[in-house]
Amino acid sequence: MQNKLSFHQSSVSLEIIGLPDYSNNENKDQISIISQWKLTIVDKPLIEGKIEHLRPIMNAFYIYSNLLIKNKIPIYESKLIDIKADNLHIHNIVLKSSKPNVNPLNIKIGNSLLSDTINCFDQLNESTKVRIKTDAINNISKNLRFGLNNKVKLMNFILPPFIAIFSLILCSSTFIYFYNTVEDKEKNELINPE
Amino acid sequence: MPNKITIWKLRNNNPLRKSYINNNIKPKEFDALIKITVEMSKYLYPYIREILKSKEDIEENSVIWNDFNKRFIELIKERFNIDSMRVKKLLNQAENDEIIIKSLLILSFCISNQGYQKLKNFLFDY
Repeated sequence: MQNKLSFHQSSVSLEIIGLPDYSNNENKDQISIISQWKLTIVDKPLIEGKIEHLRPIMNAFYIYSNLLIKNKIPIYESKLIDIKADNLHIHNIVLKSSKPNVNPLNIKIGNSLLSDTINCFDQLNESTKVRIKTDAINNISKNLRFGLNNKVKLMNFILPPFIAIFSLILCSSTFIYFYNTVEDKEKNELINPE
Repeated sequence: MPNKITIWKLRNNNPLRKSYINNNIKPKEFDALIKITVEMSKYLYPYIREILKSKEDIEENSVIWNDFNKRFIELIKERFNIDSMRVKKLLNQAENDEIIIKSLLILSFCISNQGYQKLKNFLFDY
C-alpha cells in the first residue's frame, strides 16, 4: 500500500505518492521512495511524472522565479522543461516528454499561479514526511556568508527602502476594498433613488 | 523589537522618507524587520495573490489592481520625499508597474517557513 501526501496552495496542489524506506526504520507514513507525483493547476492540464522528473522541474521553477525577481532575463531551458516570460504577467511553460512521438505540453500561467506553484514546492521541501534531497537553492552560499559582515554597512543604506516599499505594499493590501460592482451600483441606486 | 515605537523609529532610516534620520540599524534589527515582513506576507498572501491576478486579466478585473495602485501611490505621496528622483520613479505610472509586480512576487515567494531566509538571501544578493 503506497502513501499519498498532498500540498495545497490556493489553485495549485502537489501530490506525492511513494513508500517509506523500511531499511532505515522509517515510520509507516513517511515517503522516501517516490514512485509518482502529480502537479494539479486549476484549469490547466495535469502535470505528472516520476522522481527523476520532479527535482529538475522544481529546480526549473526556482531558477526561473529567481531570474524573474532579480531583473535578469527570465528564460529557463533544459531537456525536460522550458519556461519563458511572455510578458510581465504571463509565463509560458513547455514540458517535453521523455517518450518518443509525444508532443510537448504548453501551459501558460500567470504570476498568481506561479507563486502558488513555488509555495507548493516550498511546502514539499519543508515537509518532514517526504524525504527528497534539496539542493542548496534556498541557502546562503559560502561566499555570501563570508561576506555578510562587510555588507552590513551597505545594507544600512539599501535595505530600508526595500523594507519600506514592501511595507507600503502590505499596508495598501490591508486597505484594499474588494467590492462587487453590481452591489455597488445597487447601493448607489438606493442612495439616489432617482 | 521591544515595542512598536522601535519599529516606527527604524522606518525613519529609509532615505526615501520625508522624516529621514540616519541611525545605524543593527543586524538584529534587520533580521527583525525581515521577519515582520515575512509574517505580514503570510497573513496577506490571499490579498497579494488577488492583486497579482487582477493585473493578469486587467481588462476583465481591473478593480482590485486599481484600488491597490491608488492606495500605494497615496501612501508614497503622504510619507515619501516626492522631490527625490527614486520616489518620482515610484510615482510614475509608466514605470512603477514592474517595481510593484516584482515586489509583490518577492513577497508571495517568501511565505513558507523558510521565507525569512529566502527574503534575506534576495536582499543580500540584490
